[in-house]
Amino acid sequence: MATAKTVLCPCEDVTLEDVHHAFAAGHRDLESVKRYTGFGTGPCQAKSCLALVTSELARLGATPAEIFPFTERPPVEPLTLADLCSIDPKALSLERPPSPEPLAPLPESRPRSSHEVPARAGVVVVGGGIMGLGLAYNLARRGVTDVVVLERGYLNAGASGRNGGGVRTQWTTPTMIRLARRSIELCRRFAVDLGINVWMRQGGYLFLAPARKEAELLERNLRVHEANGLRTRLVSRDEALDIVPELDPVQFVAGAFNPDDGVVFPWPFLWGYATRAESLGVRVLTFTRVTGFETSGRRLTVVVTDRGRISCDRVVNAAGAWSKEVAALAGVSLPNRPIRHEILVTESTRPWLDPLVSVLGSGLYFSQSQRGEIVGGLGDPDEPEGVVLASTLRFLSRFARAITACVPITGGLRVVRQWAGCYDVTPDNNPILGAAGYENFLQLSGFVGHGFMMAPAVTELMAGWMAGDEPDPIFERFAVDRFARGEPVREDFIIG
Amino acid sequence: MPRLPDLRFAPDCTIELDGSPVPARRGESVAVALLAAGHAVLGRSAKYHRPRGAFCLSGSCHACCARIDGVPNQRSCRVPCRPGLVVSTQNGFPSARCDLLGVLDRVYARGLDHHHLMTSSALLNRLAIATSRRFTGQGRLPDRLLSPAASAREERWDALVVGGGPAGLGAAEALAGTGVPVLLAESDSLLGGRLRCGLGRAADPALSWAAEVARKVTEQGGQVLLNATALGIWQDGGSRVVVLRVEEGTPPLRLVYATRVVLATGTHPTPPPLPRNDLPGLLAARGLARALSENGLVPGSFAVVLGENEEASALAERLWKAGMQVRPTSTASDLRGGRRIRSVRLSHGERVACDTLVVAGTRAPASDLARQAGAALVFDEEAKLWRVKASPFGETGRAGLWVAGEMMFPLSADEAAETGRRAGKAAHGHS
Repeated sequence: MATAKTVLCPCEDVTLEDVHHAFAAGHRDLESVKRYTGFGTGPCQAKSCLALVTSELARLGATPAEIFPFTERPPVEPLTLADLCSIDPKALSLERPPSPEPLAPLPESRPRSSHEVPARAGVVVVGGGIMGLGLAYNLARRGVTDVVVLERGYLNAGASGRNGGGVRTQWTTPTMIRLARRSIELCRRFAVDLGINVWMRQGGYLFLAPARKEAELLERNLRVHEANGLRTRLVSRDEALDIVPELDPVQFVAGAFNPDDGVVFPWPFLWGYATRAESLGVRVLTFTRVTGFETSGRRLTVVVTDRGRISCDRVVNAAGAWSKEVAALAGVSLPNRPIRHEILVTESTRPWLDPLVSVLGSGLYFSQSQRGEIVGGLGDPDEPEGVVLASTLRFLSRFARAITACVPITGGLRVVRQWAGCYDVTPDNNPILGAAGYENFLQLSGFVGHGFMMAPAVTELMAGWMAGDEPDPIFERFAVDRFARGEPVREDFIIG
Repeated sequence: MPRLPDLRFAPDCTIELDGSPVPARRGESVAVALLAAGHAVLGRSAKYHRPRGAFCLSGSCHACCARIDGVPNQRSCRVPCRPGLVVSTQNGFPSARCDLLGVLDRVYARGLDHHHLMTSSALLNRLAIATSRRFTGQGRLPDRLLSPAASAREERWDALVVGGGPAGLGAAEALAGTGVPVLLAESDSLLGGRLRCGLGRAADPALSWAAEVARKVTEQGGQVLLNATALGIWQDGGSRVVVLRVEEGTPPLRLVYATRVVLATGTHPTPPPLPRNDLPGLLAARGLARALSENGLVPGSFAVVLGENEEASALAERLWKAGMQVRPTSTASDLRGGRRIRSVRLSHGERVACDTLVVAGTRAPASDLARQAGAALVFDEEAKLWRVKASPFGETGRAGLWVAGEMMFPLSADEAAETGRRAGKAAHGHS
C-alpha cells in the first residue's frame, strides 16, 4: 500500500509534512515555502497546490501579511522549444514604455521579519543575498558577531536566487582563477560545513567556440589555466561529442573542457549561511528596506530603514543590482549598472547532460539540474540598463533558437518556467571592493553575473580583512578608485 | 463494464501501452481509453515513486503524464487516440505498474528531507548526489527531432476572449452583439466548458447555445479557435501579447495583440488534502462527467462521490445509471490503496470498498493568466482559495483586461454566463 502521505503538490511530491518542516524552519511566506519545499515548481505551475499550501500556512499561523501569492512565472502552459523557435525575436522589442506598469505588483502589506530592528550594531550589511549572508557568516566565524543583515524581500529574492548555479575555474586572470578555485573547494564542503545540501555536481564546463576567433581565445586561456594548475583541456569536435553526444557538430570548431567546474543548487546557500550566522549571533532581518543614511564627517553613522534606525560602526553595501541605488542614498556614486538577464527551465528528463555548456560569443549557457531540468540563459546585447525583473517572450524565442541550434534534440523539450535577475555590471567586468565615499562604507558589489560562484571565497577574504587580517591583494586591485587611477583590467570571459 | 454500451463509444482502433494492445476510440483522449481499459497507473511520481494516474481529465493537473509517440511527459488526457499510437508509462523501473523504486516511498515513509540528507560527511554527501542524480528526471529525451514549426503569426484583434465555457461564451456573445470582431479561444476541441458535463441546473444554458454564440461571433467578423491553448501573456516592448497554441494548427503559435482581453479560464479541480490523496482512481467530477457524456467512460465498478454540491449529486446519479455502485459522502478520510484506491472511510466511520473516488468539492480559480497580465489576487479565507481581485463587472484595474465566470467566485453556469455578458459589455465600452 502507498504510505499515508498527504500530497499537496503531486508534480514534485511535496507533502503536508514538507510544508510543516518549512514553516518550522522559519519559511512562512509563499515565496520562501515554494523555494524550500519545491511546491509549485513542476510542470503544472501550482494550479491547485497554491491554494492547498496557503490554507495550510494560514492554519499553522502565518499572518495575513505573510500570505501573498508567489510571483507568477510564464508560461502558464509548458511549450516546446521547437514551437518557440517559430517566433521571430526581432519582432519583439525591448523598449520600455516611459512608465511601465509593474507586471508583478508587490502586495499591499508585506510580512515582517521576526527580529526587531536593533538600535545599534557593529556592522550593518545591506543586502541578504549570498554576498551579504556569506560575509555575515564568515564575520561571525571570525568572532565579529554584532552584525545585522538587512534584506528588502525574502531570502533568495534577488540574483542569488535567480542564477543558473554555475561554478567554474575557467577564468582569464590568475586572481579570478584563485578565487574561483577556493570557491569550488568551499562549495564541495558546503553541505558538511553548513549542514545543508547544495547539490554540488562537478560535471565540468564545456565552452564551445563557434569559429576560429573564439577557438584562439580558448587557446590563449589554456596557457593561463595551465600556468595556474587548472585541468582545462582543449577539445576537438569529436572529443566534445564524446562529452555531449547530442551537440550539433557543425555549430562549433573546438572547445575547452574543465572537469572540476560544475553546478550547484543556489537557494540553500543562503539558508545555510543565514541559519549558521544566526546561530552565531548575527541578526538577519528580511522584508526590511534601507531608506537612507546619516553621516558625520567621513563616516556613515546611522542606517535608516523602513522599520527603524540602526547606528553602526561599519556599513557593507552588498545589494547586488541595487548597489548603485543604495550607495546613492549615501550620496556616493558607483559606476555599477544593473542589466537584466533572463533564464528558464524546461521539464525534467532523465540525466543526459553532464557539463554546463556555453557557446562563446552568443551568451548561451545551459546545464541539467540535479532534478533533471535544463536550466539555461542567454544575454541580450540590446538589453537596456535598469532593475527590471519582468520576463519576455523575446528571450524565450532567442534562447530556443540558440539552444536548438546547439543541441537540436532539445526542440522537443518544453519550457516550464522563466524568470529574470539582474547582473550588477561594472565598466571592466570586475567587482568593486572596499571603502567608497566614506571610510566605513565598504562595497562588496559589481560581480557581473558571477557573484554567486565568487561569494564563498570573496566573503571569506573580506571577513578576514574586516576582522583585522592583512588585506588580500584583491582589495587594492578591485578598489573603486582603480577607474580614476586608470588601472582597470578588463575581464572578458563573462557568460550570458 | 468499462464503457456505456453504445455504438458511439465502441472502440474502433488499438493503441499500445508498454507493448500491450489497448482498445480505443479514435479521437478520445489517451487517458480515457486507458481508464476504460482498466489502466489507472500511467507513471510514478518524482521523488517517492508513488503511482500516478489521471485526475482532472481536463488538461490542468499533469498527473496523467506518459511518453506518447516518443515524446516524454505528455498529458495523456490531452492527446487524442489514433490507431497504432504508442504509449509508455514513465519513471517506473521496470514499469510504472511494478516499480521496484516504489520502495523509496516506504523507506522514506515519514518524508525525505532533501536539504539535510547525508550532510554528515563529505563522502556520504558525494554519494548522495551521485546516487540521487541517477534517479531523478521524468522521461527520457524525445526519440526524434521535431520538424520546425511554421512561423508564428501576429494578429491584431479588437477583442480576445480566452475560454469557451459559459462565461467566455457570454462575453463573446455580448461583444459580438455590439458588432465587435472577437477572437474566442478554447483550449479543448469543443466549446461549452462545463456545459458539456451535463451536471448543471435547469436554468443553465443548453449546450446548443455554444453553437449559436459561435455563429454570432463569426457573423461579426470574429473567429472561434478550438484546440487553442493560451500559453501566457507577455508585455514585450510595453504591448500586451497573448500567445495561443493551436493543436495541429498551421502555424501552431499565434501572437495575439488585442485591445480588450476577457479571461474566462474557469477553475482547476483540487484533490482533497487527505493522506493518499494522490492515488490513481481519484477523479475530478467535471472531467469524469464529460468523459462519461462524450466517451461513455465508466471508470470502475464502485464510486464514492465526495462533495455536497449539486454537481456531486447529479454525477452520483449518472454514475449509478451507468451501472456503477455509488456512495455519496460529504466527508471522507483514511483513503487506502496500493496502485489504485481500494477503500475510503466515510463520515460516520464506515469503511467502503471502492475503486473510484470522485472529487466534486473545491475548485481553485484558474488565475494564472490573469496574474500574468498583472491582476491582483486576494485570499478568500473562508473558501481557502485565491481569487482574482475584480469588480462585479470583471474589471481588474488593468487597462483592457477583464475576468469573468467561476475564476472570480463560485457560480452556476447561467450566472457565469451572465458575468461574461457583463464583462463583455464593460469591455465594449472600453476604447
